[in-house]
Amino acid sequence: MTTYTTVGKPIPRVEGTHKVTGNSTYAADVQLPGMLHCKLLRSPYAHAKIVSIDTTKAAAHAGVERIVTADDLPEFEARYMSNRAYNLLAGEEVVFHGQPVAAVLATDATAAEEALELIDAVYEELPAVFDPLDAMRDDAPPARAPVGEIDRSESKGHVTVEVEEEQSDKPSNVVSQTKFSRGDVEAGFAESDVVVERTWRSAMMHQGYIEPHATVASYDPISEELTIWTATQGQFFVRDQISRMLRIPETKIRVIGTELGGGFGGKIFLTQSLAAVLTRITSRPVKLVFSRSDDLVGANPAGQCVVDLKTGMKNDGTVTALQTKVIYNSGAYPGAPVVIGAILIGGYYKFPNLEIEACEVLTNKVSVGAIRAPGAHNVTLAIESQMDMMARELERDPLDVRMQNAVEAGDEMPSKAVYSSIGLKECLKAVQDSEIWRDRNERPATPGKRRGVGIAVGGWLGGLQPAGAHVELNGDGTLNVIVGSNDITGTNTSFAQIVAEELAVPLDMVNVVTGDTKTAPFAGMSAGSKTLFTVGRAVKAAAEDVRSQLLGVAAERLQAKVEELEWKDGVISVGGDAEKSIKFRQLAGITTGFGAQYPPVIGRGAISARQQAPGFTAQVAEVEVDEETGEVTLLRWGIAQDAGFAINPLSVAGQMQGGATQGMGIALWEEMLHDEGGRLINDGLLDYRMPTALDVPNIETYIVEVPSEDGPYGARGVGEPSIIPGAAAVGNAIEDAIGVRVAEAPFTPERILRAMGKI
Amino acid sequence: MTTAETTTETPREASALEKVTVRYTINGEQREVEIAPNRTLLEVVRDELRLTGAKEGCGTGDCGACSMIVDGKLITSCLMLAPQADGSEITTIEGVAQDGKLHPLQQQFIDHGAVQCGFCIPGMILAGKALLDSNPAPSELEIREAIAGNLCRCTGYTKIVEAIAAAAD
Amino acid sequence: MRVRIRVRYNAPHMRRFDYFAPTSVEEAVSLLQERGDGARLLAGGTDLLVQMKEAGVHPSAVVSLHAVDELRGISDESDGGLRIGARTLMNDVAAHETVRGAYTALAEGAGVLGSTQTRNMATIGGNIANAAPSADTAPPLAVFDAEAEIAGPGGTRTLPVIELFSGPGSTTLETAEVITAFRLPAVPDHTGSAYQRHTPRKTMDIATVGVSVKLTLADDGSIGDAAICLGAVAPTVIRAGEAERALAGETPSDELFASAGELAQAAASPISDVRGSAEFRRYLIGVMTRRCLGIALERAQA
Repeated sequence: MTTYTTVGKPIPRVEGTHKVTGNSTYAADVQLPGMLHCKLLRSPYAHAKIVSIDTTKAAAHAGVERIVTADDLPEFEARYMSNRAYNLLAGEEVVFHGQPVAAVLATDATAAEEALELIDAVYEELPAVFDPLDAMRDDAPPARAPVGEIDRSESKGHVTVEVEEEQSDKPSNVVSQTKFSRGDVEAGFAESDVVVERTWRSAMMHQGYIEPHATVASYDPISEELTIWTATQGQFFVRDQISRMLRIPETKIRVIGTELGGGFGGKIFLTQSLAAVLTRITSRPVKLVFSRSDDLVGANPAGQCVVDLKTGMKNDGTVTALQTKVIYNSGAYPGAPVVIGAILIGGYYKFPNLEIEACEVLTNKVSVGAIRAPGAHNVTLAIESQMDMMARELERDPLDVRMQNAVEAGDEMPSKAVYSSIGLKECLKAVQDSEIWRDRNERPATPGKRRGVGIAVGGWLGGLQPAGAHVELNGDGTLNVIVGSNDITGTNTSFAQIVAEELAVPLDMVNVVTGDTKTAPFAGMSAGSKTLFTVGRAVKAAAEDVRSQLLGVAAERLQAKVEELEWKDGVISVGGDAEKSIKFRQLAGITTGFGAQYPPVIGRGAISARQQAPGFTAQVAEVEVDEETGEVTLLRWGIAQDAGFAINPLSVAGQMQGGATQGMGIALWEEMLHDEGGRLINDGLLDYRMPTALDVPNIETYIVEVPSEDGPYGARGVGEPSIIPGAAAVGNAIEDAIGVRVAEAPFTPERILRAMGKI
Repeated sequence: MTTAETTTETPREASALEKVTVRYTINGEQREVEIAPNRTLLEVVRDELRLTGAKEGCGTGDCGACSMIVDGKLITSCLMLAPQADGSEITTIEGVAQDGKLHPLQQQFIDHGAVQCGFCIPGMILAGKALLDSNPAPSELEIREAIAGNLCRCTGYTKIVEAIAAAAD
Repeated sequence: MRVRIRVRYNAPHMRRFDYFAPTSVEEAVSLLQERGDGARLLAGGTDLLVQMKEAGVHPSAVVSLHAVDELRGISDESDGGLRIGARTLMNDVAAHETVRGAYTALAEGAGVLGSTQTRNMATIGGNIANAAPSADTAPPLAVFDAEAEIAGPGGTRTLPVIELFSGPGSTTLETAEVITAFRLPAVPDHTGSAYQRHTPRKTMDIATVGVSVKLTLADDGSIGDAAICLGAVAPTVIRAGEAERALAGETPSDELFASAGELAQAAASPISDVRGSAEFRRYLIGVMTRRCLGIALERAQA
């Protein structure tokens, strides 16, 4: 096994101390002279025709500089209008409650908010539909005017799949569907000893980043340059989209991805285009910062999902057949993760027969965006619950049946793509060895409560996107690394480790900086668990380039052949001869000093990633259930995840714990609730409940390393898998505790009591 | 929550606004600022005093990102009117490091990998500081209780709890 | 149907108002009198500021009590009771030795409210004056038969806390009246009390159901006196009178407490909202009243 000096070590973040001293700049911290504050008037209806908007009174309000409605906006080609991003302000029709219809620009935020109340908007209500099953009925009202071709440029950043959705021909709220089949499901069920059939529901939930959406945009009419400071996971994506929408050359757009207060798939492209348009209209800087309520009502949460699932198993634990219909509610614009859901639900186990149908349905709810592993937790709740139910029915160990049927390298996914090396079985093994699982039948429950342990697995295929990186040798022998990927949780530290490793220098000689879109080499979105997987490879290639350039200079200087050179501790020598050696620092001098003979050392790394490295996880949850109140307490949690190779185990563990906790939120608390008019009724963080420190236990992490074929040092994406199986694991643990199955997440006390027949 | 209504009440004109002068000792420094009384302490500290370390995550006291220590007590500054803190001693995240050196809590947060996106961290560190100032050797449960008003979406809290415990040692 | 509609949208910024920071109760009362119904009294701010930001409450004047020192603090009364100033912080109530010892339910109510931050800002007077049916200190104050001291333009008066509430968010206080303190009568020997609430999360939440109980045992171990007050299950906090009467004079037992729970359920008129359905709330009252009685009994016997 290769031994490394820097990669593979738990390294605290190197990019300095600014995040613990309050000195990081997030988008809402940006203040510019003459800046206008933007507040949005949002639709009170889920579906209505806009009859008129009278802004006269509001425009006259003290402090208000300008009010903008759809009439003032540039016109876009009809084919783009299926994309939420192009619908900056509603023109003729509002299609979800909270959709922006007017933007007020004022010298301070209070004045802007006061003016919102003075806008006179007249609507004519239209029939609305909210539940996806209702929306699929033949007599359902259309959620909105028919969409054209579906623009999926954003969702491809999260996962790369080679399957295209079919679009419906006839006008329908069902905008796309995907089907996969294998073998003969009827025959499969016929030979089964147990068949379980259930409907599983999971709620619309929010990514829950603590920093609401924020953008500051500034347009200089003289240079025609547009500068955007924004909270985004993908600054190049923002630049490209704005260039395309507003027909501005990319050379005139500078997107500065500020420090990002969490994204989880929800912060890609939402406020930037409107802010850009508004600064162009006013020629003054515009600040658009969402309130928490704005963000819950009008951002792009993760959609609700209904899964009908039928599965079969033989007495010996072998799975036989899987038949399913997966329905994603995508809200008022298309964009639900249909294909990935369809792949994953049949992609964990070797079902010889399967029939999968998945579709996305438009309704008059806010349109959905990505989330950590979009679509995955919904389908995993279904399949991982039923694996447990079948095992229980056959009195088999739930972990053994998973191990017995788990997919391996070479197995086909439902889409017929073939898995490369994967570590699902290794993750299961790690959970099997955990104390939580081993003593699952031994720990006594608190008096009056029942204790249970559950497991579940999850997997994510990962996104692919090309990426570039520069590594430059500074005059003092230190190194600057420039990337274009937005560092949310520590990827820049891992890049520093890679460069330190490749060039055999101490970590503190490497400085990584995320440039903006005018200065940095291209990178894809920090999404889809691919930043380290793709940009990391580019960084490694750039470091290798630096290495070969330095060797070239050293060879010439030492009058030796490159092959004769030894590279050790920052010294390059001919066969280890101290007399014939040159220090790294000297090399830096002769490539940057006055009259230097050699050109500066600038390493270039540019890669295109073609092969995904799916990441799997297995998790174990120990819960206690109060049978009288339905309350569930999470006692212990263990997560095993295949990181391929953990370049920085400290940050890998952090990713695992964070995602697992979001999974716990999905399991027990998180649900966006709407009234009969489609209005969100929990639009604050009191009633949209994310877990607090008291709601979750310490999380044990078991890092599994099954090297990927393509990732740097064998690494694979680690961001996403951790969120996936939480709800299923908790549901399985609840059944283990009280013998009752709840088929709708979150598993609230009320739902548990109803399932128990107590209310 | 959003409510639709049909009143025609007109907001008061900006000119009707009377400003008040408030004095704070913030991070050991005397500051005086003239403000409209409808501003929260958070807004004044961020927008007027330009200390932007404290964050607004919800505006309703439910996330803790705006936490500050005012006269020795941890509070959510989004729910305190700026004039209510007149004459107070205020510590924000910018005042936690002293004499060019990180506070042990700050160092432990870095060393334990307790910082991911960082948005909750200023409030989280102040919550940890308020705890350790009054209870130098807290149990895990006491740490979790002390930070329960500070939401973090990235870490799942495990490493934050470890960092605070380590700073207490 | 065409509808003209104006949306009041949740805003993080408050509308403008005149601000006053009196230094005495007298001054506060006269300011409230001057400014009339448009004026709002500000104690800790954890309820009022949220309402001003998101519930469309736009006072023309805010009278802050933070500089009125006489409203702060907890003191022993000559009759063995306790007096708690209205501007005493929740954390100070929860940590006070006498409150924890003799008025345990109140310490529990004050101690579970919100977060550390909330309890460092919120005051007991504010919690009561805000008159939320879910207020965590209201049921405990009610089971101890606490009285509110009220100052107003016409002088001072006292009123049992339970009589302060007239509906969700509304009180029987007259214009320009200020709650200055709560007086809790002395607690007899062999008394135990408890406050229990159900919340979806362990903390940082508002009670779906709150139950407070106080039990005083007679020398023979039977129940001499019982008080039960329910929160979040009716327009105001309510005493479960029938359940209380059914307990008096009886020997404590699981069956007795279960039947008291059933009587308490009958007293409630819960609604369905974002925190739970009426059915769920009614169900919980039974379980929680029974449990709360059990805890109070253990404490009374200790």
